[in-house]
Amino acid sequence: MPDVQSMVNEFVIKLKKRKVEGSKSTAKLTAELLRSFISQQRLPHRNQAGALIDAVKAVGEKLIAANPVELAVGNVVRRVLHIIREEDLSLTTAAVGGLSLAAESDDENDMEQDDHPVLSATAVAAAARNALRPPSLQTLLEDIPHSAVAPPTSSSGGDSEGKSKSADKNSMTRKLKHNVIEAVNELIQEISTCHEQIAEQAVEHIHHNEVILTLGSSRTVMEFLCAAKEKKRSFRVFVAEGAPRYQGHAFAKELAGRGLQTTVITDSAVFAMISRVNMVIVGAHAVMANGGVIAPVGLNMVALAAQRHAVPFVVLAGVHKLCPLYPHNPEVLLNELKSPSELLDFGEFSDCLDVGSGTGSPLLHVVNPAFDYVPPNLVNLFITDTGGHNPSYIYRLIADYYSADDLVVRRKSAS
Amino acid sequence: MWYRSASFILDRQHQQQNDTVTNPDSRPLSPSSSAMATENPNPSISMYYQTRAAHHGVVTSDWLAQAQAAVGGNSDDAVSDNCVSGGDEECKGFSVVDEFNNWRKQPDLAEAVAAIRALASVIRSSQATTMMELEIELKKASDSLKSWDTTSISLTAGCDLFMRYVTRTSALEYEDFNSAKSRLLERAEKFGEISYKARRIIAMLSQDFIFDGCTILVHGFSRVVLEVLRTAAQNKKLFRVFCTEGRPDRTGLRLSNELAKLDVPVKLLIDSAVAYSMDEVDMVFVGADGVVESGGIINMMGTYQIALVAKSMNKPVYVAAESYKFARLYPLDQKDMVPALRPIDFGVPIPSKVEVETSARDYTPPQYLTLLFTDLGVLTPSVVSDELIQLYL
Repeated sequence: MPDVQSMVNEFVIKLKKRKVEGSKSTAKLTAELLRSFISQQRLPHRNQAGALIDAVKAVGEKLIAANPVELAVGNVVRRVLHIIREEDLSLTTAAVGGLSLAAESDDENDMEQDDHPVLSATAVAAAARNALRPPSLQTLLEDIPHSAVAPPTSSSGGDSEGKSKSADKNSMTRKLKHNVIEAVNELIQEISTCHEQIAEQAVEHIHHNEVILTLGSSRTVMEFLCAAKEKKRSFRVFVAEGAPRYQGHAFAKELAGRGLQTTVITDSAVFAMISRVNMVIVGAHAVMANGGVIAPVGLNMVALAAQRHAVPFVVLAGVHKLCPLYPHNPEVLLNELKSPSELLDFGEFSDCLDVGSGTGSPLLHVVNPAFDYVPPNLVNLFITDTGGHNPSYIYRLIADYYSADDLVVRRKSAS
Repeated sequence: MWYRSASFILDRQHQQQNDTVTNPDSRPLSPSSSAMATENPNPSISMYYQTRAAHHGVVTSDWLAQAQAAVGGNSDDAVSDNCVSGGDEECKGFSVVDEFNNWRKQPDLAEAVAAIRALASVIRSSQATTMMELEIELKKASDSLKSWDTTSISLTAGCDLFMRYVTRTSALEYEDFNSAKSRLLERAEKFGEISYKARRIIAMLSQDFIFDGCTILVHGFSRVVLEVLRTAAQNKKLFRVFCTEGRPDRTGLRLSNELAKLDVPVKLLIDSAVAYSMDEVDMVFVGADGVVESGGIINMMGTYQIALVAKSMNKPVYVAAESYKFARLYPLDQKDMVPALRPIDFGVPIPSKVEVETSARDYTPPQYLTLLFTDLGVLTPSVVSDELIQLYL
């Protein structure tokens, strides 16, 4: 236990100091950390899923608070929580299904004990399945409180099993953890291979003699373009340099090294060149639930230019970048201000940056935001590991990968 | 599509025919029932808007509290009187609609909830012994409710939702009819709580979107939107509200009254001043009479106009609607709905040759809406049809 705690604290410090760069590596590290955490957890016999969920929520809360702008951390935490709920549900339905034969013989006993009418196993499973889906009109009328469904079913499963076979109890305990860890391994695998999955679709989108525009540097875009090159498509790439870090320069160099015809332009030249471009392909930092994109600074301008000239704006994003939250003030809340020294050297401009005589604050302010928010109506296509999607379809992906209960990751003090 | 005919002559003829049709089977009115209860003198004029105006007028919240207390005592007496005076069968037909109206007198209660409560009373007073019989009775009652006001969408949606729920419950293999019946009753009677809870959930969800120093434009009197603003005010957020007048209902005046009580800075605009003030507005908040399959909404006349202006000026339009307002409609244009007409009083007599557009509501297509706040969560308009499929499958 103390070992895991120290690992968690180490990771929290790394996040706070922004030592981890890139959503893919952050997501992978978070998933691995949670995997070790879960494997070292000792679970009670009853209501294991609930206990595990609480424990993961407690850790998740800490991790998210360390770097709220890095949404991949929260995404992975929520994915793991969803995995736990799903595995618990499938175990319960298997257990209940197997027990329905035993239950029929015990009918008279149950009738006396329970106040509620006897519900068939299918009804219980259906109710539990409802609890897993986001609240719908059915669950509204059924009014089955979500948290109440899981404990009764798992404890009733535990009870009746205890009556019939006590040896099975231990196997149930181990099974949930085992299944969850297996699923988390799959998640880590998925995160590691997201670039390859996305790059596989390159050939469908890039055709001969096309001109592609991109901004800055993104590993996903690199793999994407190279995959198309491998399949013998010939096309040209315009790379906007991506001030103030100018990562576009290195990106263009690498592209040229792989044999692609590349042109470097300044960010301000994007609008002038966009009419000669066939498609804009960019990466993203995060994708929000409404289909909006948190992207490196400058991409909102590119998206607006692309819309103005009817150029398709394609965003490449691995599924771990999908965030179930709605952005209500993304320019401020989901943004980071980086060091002004990237724009102006401290030495040259230190006299302006000093405290002004009258006002008590510097006369020259330098603002260096890291991210831009691109609204969903400017994005034409999302290419994820699962395929190409419309921005208005993002809610479906979110419903598949996340549970509604996990939107706010907070440890419940009294469940 | 009748109503879209370019031939005004045909329209006028149709109108004259409607007026001469005699009222549907008139039943003897019992002395204690109110005049508006059973007969709808002109089917195309929306009972909803007529009775709503009668119920609410220009009301203050103190009056609301008093009325609520008063109604709680009276409703039972009125219903029992009705049942005693009429015969058994007539009584049932009466009491659904009467019960419904009695419930609606509670100002805080939504229409769909009142409908469901009325249907619950049908279950309670029913003498059926099988689920099938009970379902048939409920269907009859639900049809009579729907026919009393053909124009109200949330009423229809509420009835459909409850009927759907009933048929699904019977499929849940309750061994005993009485236990199934009592469960139905319990669920129906708790539905009122759900409605109130729904408003609280919606208010909570929308809090993040209201930031300090924002200006909100509101149209029409929606209790959900009022709850949203009330919660924001209670959370000590600083914002101001622009309220459209909402002719001819003057609902804007009511809303501005309520908001002034909450110490929220309010400014009243005439309906035509919306584009003029849209510059200073940060977001538009409206309620909905119904949410349709495409993700668009049907709301008080003027909503579409405001959404168009907001869209052209890049202002987000947020809709606050409970989930039981989702209806299985897909209007293709403004006239593709059951018309809900409402007589307008211009203050001066209008010559008979002049036509007046009396429609009470319009349809706002989904591309003008940004987000919908419902008790199912925050939804984009494209999610609505998914939710409907989940319910009606």
